[in-house]
Amino acid sequence: MSELEQKKTDLRSVSQTWFSKKLNVAGIYGIVALFILLGIFLQLLGVINNFMTTSNMLNIVDAVSMLGIVALGLAFVTYSGHFADLSIPTTMALTGIVAVQMLQFGFFAAIVSAFIVGTIIGLINAFAIGKLKVNPVIWTLALNYMTLGVIRVIWANKQIYPDMIASSERAVELFDNIYRLRFFNKIAFPMIMLIVLFFLFHFVMSKSKFGIQLKITGAAKKSAEYSGINVERVIGAAFVISALTATLGGLTITSLSRVGAWYNGAGYDFKAVTAIVIGGMTLAGGRGSIIGVLGGVLVIGLMNNLMTLLGVGTFSQDMIRGIIFIIVVGINAKTLRTMGRDDA
Amino acid sequence: MSERDVDKPAFEMRQVSKVYPGTIAVDKVDFDVFPGEVHALIGENGAGKTTLMSIISGSFDDYTGDIFINGNKVSLRSPAQAKKNGIEMIYQDLSLALPISVAENVLVGRLPRKGIFIDKEKMVSETFDNLSKVGLEHIDPMIPIEDISQHEAQLVEIAKAMGNNPSILVMDEPTSALSQEEVERLFDIIDSLRKMGLAIVYISHHLPEIFKIADRVTVLRDGHRIDTKKINDVTQEELVQMMVGKSVTEFYRHDIFSGEKVRLKVEKLTRYGFFHDVSFHACEGEILGIGGLSGAGRSELARVLVALDKRDKGRIVLDGKEIKSRNMAQALDEGFAYLSENRKTEGLATRLSIRDNILSALVPRLSKNGVYDKEKGDPVLMKLIEELSIYPPDPNREVSNLSGGNQQKVLMAKWIAVEPKVLILDEPTRGVDIGAKVIIHNAIEALAKEGRTIILISSDLPELVSLSHRVMIMRQGHFIKEMQKAECTEESVLLAANGEGV
Ligand SMILES: Nc1ncnc2c1ncn2[C@@H]1O[C@H](COP(=O)(O)OP(=O)(O)OP(=O)(O)O)[C@@H](O)[C@H]1O
Ligand SMILES: [Mg+2]
Repeated sequence: MSELEQKKTDLRSVSQTWFSKKLNVAGIYGIVALFILLGIFLQLLGVINNFMTTSNMLNIVDAVSMLGIVALGLAFVTYSGHFADLSIPTTMALTGIVAVQMLQFGFFAAIVSAFIVGTIIGLINAFAIGKLKVNPVIWTLALNYMTLGVIRVIWANKQIYPDMIASSERAVELFDNIYRLRFFNKIAFPMIMLIVLFFLFHFVMSKSKFGIQLKITGAAKKSAEYSGINVERVIGAAFVISALTATLGGLTITSLSRVGAWYNGAGYDFKAVTAIVIGGMTLAGGRGSIIGVLGGVLVIGLMNNLMTLLGVGTFSQDMIRGIIFIIVVGINAKTLRTMGRDDA
Repeated sequence: MSERDVDKPAFEMRQVSKVYPGTIAVDKVDFDVFPGEVHALIGENGAGKTTLMSIISGSFDDYTGDIFINGNKVSLRSPAQAKKNGIEMIYQDLSLALPISVAENVLVGRLPRKGIFIDKEKMVSETFDNLSKVGLEHIDPMIPIEDISQHEAQLVEIAKAMGNNPSILVMDEPTSALSQEEVERLFDIIDSLRKMGLAIVYISHHLPEIFKIADRVTVLRDGHRIDTKKINDVTQEELVQMMVGKSVTEFYRHDIFSGEKVRLKVEKLTRYGFFHDVSFHACEGEILGIGGLSGAGRSELARVLVALDKRDKGRIVLDGKEIKSRNMAQALDEGFAYLSENRKTEGLATRLSIRDNILSALVPRLSKNGVYDKEKGDPVLMKLIEELSIYPPDPNREVSNLSGGNQQKVLMAKWIAVEPKVLILDEPTRGVDIGAKVIIHNAIEALAKEGRTIILISSDLPELVSLSHRVMIMRQGHFIKEMQKAECTEESVLLAANGEGV
């Protein structure tokens, strides 16, 4: 045995360049840095003003913190190899509406009921996709419209306003503050939520037992099952997490708009998936990280900020985001192929 | 044979190389194959065989060197270009889409149509024609691939490739999933294809097969071409010498097993339609072989033992305690482990690292209060990488970057790491080279010496006969014979498996 062992030395290995290695590690944050440099450059040229100021930097994060909260939770679904949870938009809308409606029993009742509703939606997804193995895209899309139906039937297209329903002034104020509370007059509460979730989820995804099992499940579901992992439960948990962050997002956006309405949360599914994919998490599952996803969110924030400062219209902004999404997916597929992998 | 030498080769590559990030997998290789010839390609695990063949089938757009087909220079930088040039490849790891019907797999890309709809009748009849060429008339073209056995799937692959009327056919270890008779049948098919004038490239680790089927043989080592020889001009020993750079002797053990502490007792175990009233026992430290033809129900038995499938009847007793696990996780806790025969879909997560794979069944044990302790697994990990000489020995390397044989070693390591009481091995050396086979056999021996019970399912007769202390023969879902070491020979096992001489 020993003579068989000793012969294999890395005869054929050619070393990767230092630069390509660093680029791999830096990944998305390299792009973040590039955008910041671009901003500084444009400011130096005098094309835009006020890019490199503390308040603008805070603005950038502030503007994407809702998206960030939703994307960080959705990332668990993508990581599990189930692409995306398309029921996010109406989950956000419904939990917001329920919260406003329940403000008649006080702020606490509102928050708790929103989370109960969010959990139920998560569990429905968990059961259908984890246990019954329904196609996740089709199912969550269908559930999105079912939830929309529920909203339309119960609230009959009415928009509901916190200040008209709440039990007290105090409850309205608390609810308004979900979005508006500022620490040191600068740091917004959603940003705090984003930062807390970031550390928590990073730990869960990369260091917890659940995270490792989720990774194996996402990369190869059948092998995971054959390794004694309860894949149904693991996948289910991912969808529950996504529904819970959608609930947080729903509460925040409803607090921002001061109205419970069916359209709150529209578009958040695609925006969040874009952030996730730009952040280096592949749709095939099992690859990527929470750090990357946060990077993806920041890139979107920077891009929006720069485009706004440059005066690009909203529609063009949407189009540019779509194009970037396609380019990133394309580049991923191409590099993976050279490396001899076939998934994207 | 001599007249062929003046012909033009159907396929020729000159000074072809392919570099992966980090590895020169194929280094300035010349290779050619003539019409009506079977050219075998051999070499150790990781020698570059699969990579070379993937170049031929257009998998890479960044190879260097020149490729000629019928004397004309061509560029094979996409699978479509390769197909257009009449090249078909049968991959080492099956590439059929699992939940899709046999017919759709065989006719992929050229499904018969009626207007905008698929012409189902024609689809079925065309598939049937293709399947009958490889002796699979009995298969319903409409059932999904996941419902047919591994060896049938292998033949379906060939039927699929043949459907495109190729002039060059590349086969990467086509026999690794086949039993002896199926191999014979495949050879008949290959022989008729050769007579039809096809140029065939054939990769295998089984040297006796090469001598049976090939006209010429090329040896690769560490990405270089060592030599090309007419098959009549070399001996098996010379080929081994060329492959590994020294001679290796397969070892055969002859000691008699004397343990008697019964560890596992199985009584009248039944899963309707797969196997019936199977009873046996196995001792501590014993290697119990299960022989039989593919389809005899051996893997199904294994799956029930580890609770991947439900049993309909019967008892499983481990160390005197009746086992009633309801899923694989519980079976693992009880002390069972199962190395499945299908490494790519059931065994490994090829997109993850060697570390994640070897430790994947250990996650609960390496975790405390829900927190996974990454370092805790390191000692086992490094020990196994070294013991099984997994190459490259880098725990962070993605498994899909490893050659087939090294992937198999990772799978073996994964189940050794679990330290089970009963380890069921289903084709444990599929696709590994001679040297690695010895390593894996040694590891199996060592596990038995530690007192673990090994149940060995293998279609590789020399392996089954030399490793097992005792062999049970399974046929059509029944245990029909038990053979002690002394009466076990390749011939006697084969006869019994075919239901003769019982
Ligand atoms: N995608 C990849 N990325 C990096 N290195 C790779 C990749 N695929 C293969 N290699 C390396 O290239 C070399 C040749 O691998 P290849 O799969 O061609 O071997 P092989 O001769 O087919 O072996 P086996 O008999 O085990 O199937 C090996 O050292 C392997 O580790
Ligand atoms: Mg290979």
